[in-house]
Amino acid sequence: MIETLLILFAPLIGGLMYGFERKLRARMQNRQGPPLLQPFYDMWKLIDKQAFIVNPYHTILGVMHFITLWIVVAFIILGQNLLYVIFLHLLSTIFIILAGFSVKSIYSHIGSNRELQAMIAYEPILIMVAVGFFMKHGSFDISVIRENGALLASLFLLFLAFLMVMQIKLKKSPFDATEAHQEIVGGVEVEFSGVFFEFIYMAKWLEYAFVYLLLMLFAGNNIFLGIGLFLGVFLLVNLVDNATARIKMKHLLRIVLAIGLTLGMWNLIGLAYV
Amino acid sequence: MFDLKKYRKKSPWILHYNAGSCNGCDIEILASLAPKYDLERFGVINTGNPKQSDIFLVTGPVTYRSRERLVELYTQMPEPKVVIAVGSCSCTGGVFRDMVNVEDGVDRYIPVDVYVAGCATSPELIIDGVVKALEILEQKTKEMEKPLKLFREATLENSIVNRRHTALKVGEKDEEN
Repeated sequence: MIETLLILFAPLIGGLMYGFERKLRARMQNRQGPPLLQPFYDMWKLIDKQAFIVNPYHTILGVMHFITLWIVVAFIILGQNLLYVIFLHLLSTIFIILAGFSVKSIYSHIGSNRELQAMIAYEPILIMVAVGFFMKHGSFDISVIRENGALLASLFLLFLAFLMVMQIKLKKSPFDATEAHQEIVGGVEVEFSGVFFEFIYMAKWLEYAFVYLLLMLFAGNNIFLGIGLFLGVFLLVNLVDNATARIKMKHLLRIVLAIGLTLGMWNLIGLAYV
Repeated sequence: MFDLKKYRKKSPWILHYNAGSCNGCDIEILASLAPKYDLERFGVINTGNPKQSDIFLVTGPVTYRSRERLVELYTQMPEPKVVIAVGSCSCTGGVFRDMVNVEDGVDRYIPVDVYVAGCATSPELIIDGVVKALEILEQKTKEMEKPLKLFREATLENSIVNRRHTALKVGEKDEEN
C-alpha cells in the first residue's frame, strides 16, 4: 500500500525536493529565493502554454524518457534487481539522447553528445556500486540490501565515487557541462516547449528521487543513518554546486573516470581480498 | 473551476535579447536577477531559450542587423507572451533616433506591452516593469500575436536557405503600395 503511494507520488516528492533545493541555494547566496512550491507553479504554467512540436519522435521520446524514469523509481521502491534498475535508467537516458539528436538544433546535438560522454563517465561507477553490493550480500536485489545492515563503511570509497555521479546526474557544478544553461541553453531540452517540456522538467524531479533513493541504499536497514545521509549529502551537493565553477566536458570525463574508477576498483579489490 | 491562468504570473521565465544595446541596460537586467534585487523570488528564471519563456526583455534601439533575429525570436516564443522594451533606446530609439543603421525602437517590429524608460534604466524600474507585465500576461489569450513587420520569403542562394533579409525594412511595405 505505502509502496504504491510512494510510486504514485514520486514525481511530487522529487518536485518538493527541487523546490526546497532552490530555496536552500538562494539562502546560501543570501537572497530570499522562490517559494517552496515554485516547481508546481512552473508545472501548471507549462501545461497552460502553447506547445510547439518540432517532430513527433522528438516529443514521444521526451515522454518516453519521463515514463521510463518513473518505472525505474518504481522498481527501486519495490525492491527489484539493482543491476536491472541501473540498465533501465540507462535506457531512459538513451531516449533523451535520441530525442536530442532527432532535431536540427545544434545546441540539442551538443547536449546529446555531452550526455553520451557523461554516460561513459558515470555508468561504470554505477555498475561498480551494484557489484559492490553483490560482493557483500551475494544478491543484486534491492530488497535484500534493504534488509541487511548499513554498508557505508565497507563501501566508503564507492560512496565517494557515487557522490561524483550525483553531481553529474543532478546537473550540478562542477559537473554540469551536459546542461550548461548559459552556454548551450540546456542542451537536450532546448527544443521542448509547453506541456512537452513539462515532461522533461518532471523527469528532472524523478532524477532527484532516483539518485537519492540509490544513495539511501548505502544505509541499508538503518533508517536514521539513511535520513542523516540524505540530509548531509543534500547539503553537500548544494554547497559544492554554489562553491565551484563549471568544468569542461573532457575534464569531467578525465576527473570522473580517473578518480571515480580508481576509487571504485580499490574498493572492489579490497572487498575481494580482505 | 481550477484556473490555470493564475499560475502564469507565478512563474514567468525571461528571455533577454540585446538588439544593439550599449550593454548599460543589460547590466541592469542582470543586476535585477542577481542576489541584491533577486527577481527569482517571483519565480523568474533567465532561461535564454525562446521556446520556454514568457517574457521577452529587449534592450537596445534595434539595429538594422538585429531586426531579423528580433522578429525570429519573437515568433519562436509560444503564446501567451509579453514583450518589455527596456531602456530609452528600445522604447523610442533614444539618442540613436533617426540614425541610418537604427530602426527607432522595438515597437516598429513587434507589439510591445510594457515600456521601461531610462538611460540606463534602474533595476527597480525593471522589476516594476516585470510585475506590470505579469498583470498583462494574466489577461492574454493563447491566440497568435503577429509581429508587425511580417516575414518576406526566405531566399534560396546556392541551395542554402538565406534568411538575411527576411524582415521588411521600415516603410518598405508603404513604398510597395
